[in-house]
Amino acid sequence: MSITQLPSTEVGERHPGFECGNICRPEELSRNVDVSGLVDRQTGLVDRVIFTDRTLYEQELARVFATSWLFLGHVEQLQKAGDFFTTYMGEDPVIVTKDKSGSIRAYLNSCRHRGARVLRADYGKARNFTCTYHGWSWDLAGKLISVPNEEGYANANFDRDDWGLVEVAQLDVAFGLIFATWNPDAPPLDEQLGDMKYYMEAFLGRDPEGTTIVGGITKWVLKGNWKLAAEQFGTDWYHVNMSHASALMVLSPTGKGPKESIANTPGRQYSDERGNGTGFPTHPKSRFDAQPVHEYYDYDELRERLGTARVEGPMTTGHATVFPNFSYLPVNGSIRVWHPKGVDEMEIWSWTVLDKSMPEDVREAQRLYNLRTFGPSGIFEQDDGENWSEVQSISHGWRTNTVPLNYQMGLGSERHDGVYPGETSELYSDAAGRRFYGRWAELMNTPAWHETRNVHE
Amino acid sequence: MSEEGIVVAQVGDIDEGEGIQIEAAVLGTVDNVAVFNDDGEYFALDDTCTHEVASLSEGWVEDGCVECPLHAAKFCLGDGSVQSMPATVDVYPHRVVLDGDDIRVIPNPERLA
Repeated sequence: MSITQLPSTEVGERHPGFECGNICRPEELSRNVDVSGLVDRQTGLVDRVIFTDRTLYEQELARVFATSWLFLGHVEQLQKAGDFFTTYMGEDPVIVTKDKSGSIRAYLNSCRHRGARVLRADYGKARNFTCTYHGWSWDLAGKLISVPNEEGYANANFDRDDWGLVEVAQLDVAFGLIFATWNPDAPPLDEQLGDMKYYMEAFLGRDPEGTTIVGGITKWVLKGNWKLAAEQFGTDWYHVNMSHASALMVLSPTGKGPKESIANTPGRQYSDERGNGTGFPTHPKSRFDAQPVHEYYDYDELRERLGTARVEGPMTTGHATVFPNFSYLPVNGSIRVWHPKGVDEMEIWSWTVLDKSMPEDVREAQRLYNLRTFGPSGIFEQDDGENWSEVQSISHGWRTNTVPLNYQMGLGSERHDGVYPGETSELYSDAAGRRFYGRWAELMNTPAWHETRNVHE
Repeated sequence: MSEEGIVVAQVGDIDEGEGIQIEAAVLGTVDNVAVFNDDGEYFALDDTCTHEVASLSEGWVEDGCVECPLHAAKFCLGDGSVQSMPATVDVYPHRVVLDGDDIRVIPNPERLA
């Protein structure tokens, strides 16, 4: 038996960083679609195919998710060496753990032997990571330490050091949130967040002691492309009065709906060239929170420490997305990640964040409030999920799919307003959406680090 | 009786559900010895799993058994007998006596170096 090597294999992609032998992926398997005609930032139009095409989706995993900083979890999920939790980076399963030196590490949760998930638990405590398929084991530092029947590899030039767990290229923590990237060339997390940190601090820096989380992560599956959710949390206040009308009626103190000044609140929407976005009312009473939580906060102290503009802006009922798929709601204490699961489906993983200094009754009030509003059956979450699934369910139709979508609200209105860092537009705006898809298209049209790096590096 | 064996630890040194490793040189044995605390009762076994190279002292102690930290083979704390695959060979047990707060191990004669 002989396998003839074709010319295309010579220039193909070779996976850098680990034992490859003569494995060389041919060019035909790479995804390199030019998306410059699918996202038009100038006119504010988007081709609907970006939500439905499988080739684009695979390119997205290789060029957007493989290059960006991705959210993994909260530092409070790891207390001691050996504590671990599992999550995803794009569609890649990862183990996040604390090694014996106390450093947070993240590894691809796939056995180097036959590829099974090494850990299947959501979280737990381990001394080693052992694959349940054939029993290869790694220590907390990702080093291969046991191979049953290892003498069988005697003629394979087998060296355990070549078969460690695949580790992320960079890992960093901001405001107690753990992020990592496969991209060794990615600019530091601090740079990716940039001015976004000012807005994040309004939520995650309310307590000088920092934040903690409610034990347990709520996870659910939803029909809809992941970008529909990420985009909305970055750029869309517009839907609130329409989609959430019933919830707003129920929640208003009078039961007759919010006052005109709150329903049509002024506000600002921040966006940047790295794809991040957040919008927030600037009406001091636009703070849909649980009463015990509201009473707990000393707003004068917060004004002094974080500035009035921040307390009456991004600390109100806002929404935010850190590119590509991490989002949060500052008042509700909801943080979430939109895991892509094919073009048509996402998994939503959602945490409730609490200030460390909150007394027990305030914690409980915040937990219940977040659950009731933005838990999987929350009165607001239900509205949002229904919209995304509805949009997705029809989007494969030929006529439907070929009609561009409108992201024109607030076109050209982004400016430095002298109050908020970076560029902001009105609250009702698609500015962050245009930048989200702009960044997406930029990454989609740039060969990623793993496509351009020399194999022998 | 109190003169028997070698003092390897004090009561309180080994947390409930945990084990410690005693080096072979201390006891004059061919293998290191693992001493376990299972709900206040103390047991000692050869430390090395009979399946692959792993220290049973780092294993999980539960219901009279220790589970190997690498491949989950199980051994009876009392007599070292295999309770679960992938191991198929028993580990040797050693006797433990409590003398006040002293935990003494009497090495299994078959395992003396």
